[in-house]
Amino acid sequence: MPELPDLNPVIHGKLRLALLSLLAGVEEAEFTWLRAKTSSTDGNLGAQLLKLEDAGYVAVEKKFVARKPQSIYRITDDGRQALTEYVQALKQLLGSAITA
Amino acid sequence: MQEQMHTQDLSERLSLIESMIAEGRRSTESWGWVFLLWGVAYSVAIAWGSWGQGLSVWGNRYAQIGSVRIGLAWPVTMIVAVIATLAIGLRHERTSPSTSLVRSVVSVWVAAGIAMLVLFPAFGASGRLDQHIFVAIVAALLGVANVASGLILQWKAQSACGVVWWVTSVAACFGSVAQLTVVFLSAIFVCQIVFGIYAMVLESRRNRREIVHA
Repeated sequence: MPELPDLNPVIHGKLRLALLSLLAGVEEAEFTWLRAKTSSTDGNLGAQLLKLEDAGYVAVEKKFVARKPQSIYRITDDGRQALTEYVQALKQLLGSAITA
Repeated sequence: MQEQMHTQDLSERLSLIESMIAEGRRSTESWGWVFLLWGVAYSVAIAWGSWGQGLSVWGNRYAQIGSVRIGLAWPVTMIVAVIATLAIGLRHERTSPSTSLVRSVVSVWVAAGIAMLVLFPAFGASGRLDQHIFVAIVAALLGVANVASGLILQWKAQSACGVVWWVTSVAACFGSVAQLTVVFLSAIFVCQIVFGIYAMVLESRRNRREIVHA
């Protein structure tokens, strides 16, 4: 029987998984848009995005627009790769659970 | 039992990924207000242009500036609509994610809009613009933009609107000005106002959908 894969713990958190998936569908997105789409609080969202950023899965660009700070997030190549591998691992685990 | 919960959790995660990726893509499709705005703008221009004169002369209301007669209703209404679109669009852009899908669709509409803004003043200055030609060109360009957007977004309803505009464009080559006006107003009502409201209802339903919490 083939060894079952481990799920990447950085992506496994539901909010981080949602964030990475959202960013996979767009080129870039603002902090406020991510907050609205995930219905999360500023503090929690910022903390989870920081974890993804530390892992090198998202990149952030901070700038000022009309004197207001704006944080623009985008998924990196590593992040896209990690998400793809996570989905493959998830499918493999699901497949083994069904055949077990 | 635990095994079943584990499988359910894995399935939920897979669904979450799919729904979030789709959410990101769908969020770029908030165009309903633009259709409604322009539908109202066209209707206002026709009403203003024909006020007190009947439906057959909606393009003939002029202002005399020195020795030059300038049609007012359409240029003024269209300029106001362009300014409103830019103002609302720029605000909308700041809160929306950027995607190549958005850029593609916006490019199609900007190109069609520029074609109209360049062509009609030139026609007006040359004195060769009549209502049949005006409606035929507007409808043909709106047909192109709607069908192109519909194909990019894989949105059949929008492509159908494009076909309605092309039918209007062909119909504009025939009949009286009064008949032309009825055809034009019908197309505006269906493809701008009704379609715009339909798109806004879809967007509103989508925004209300429950989002998974962390």
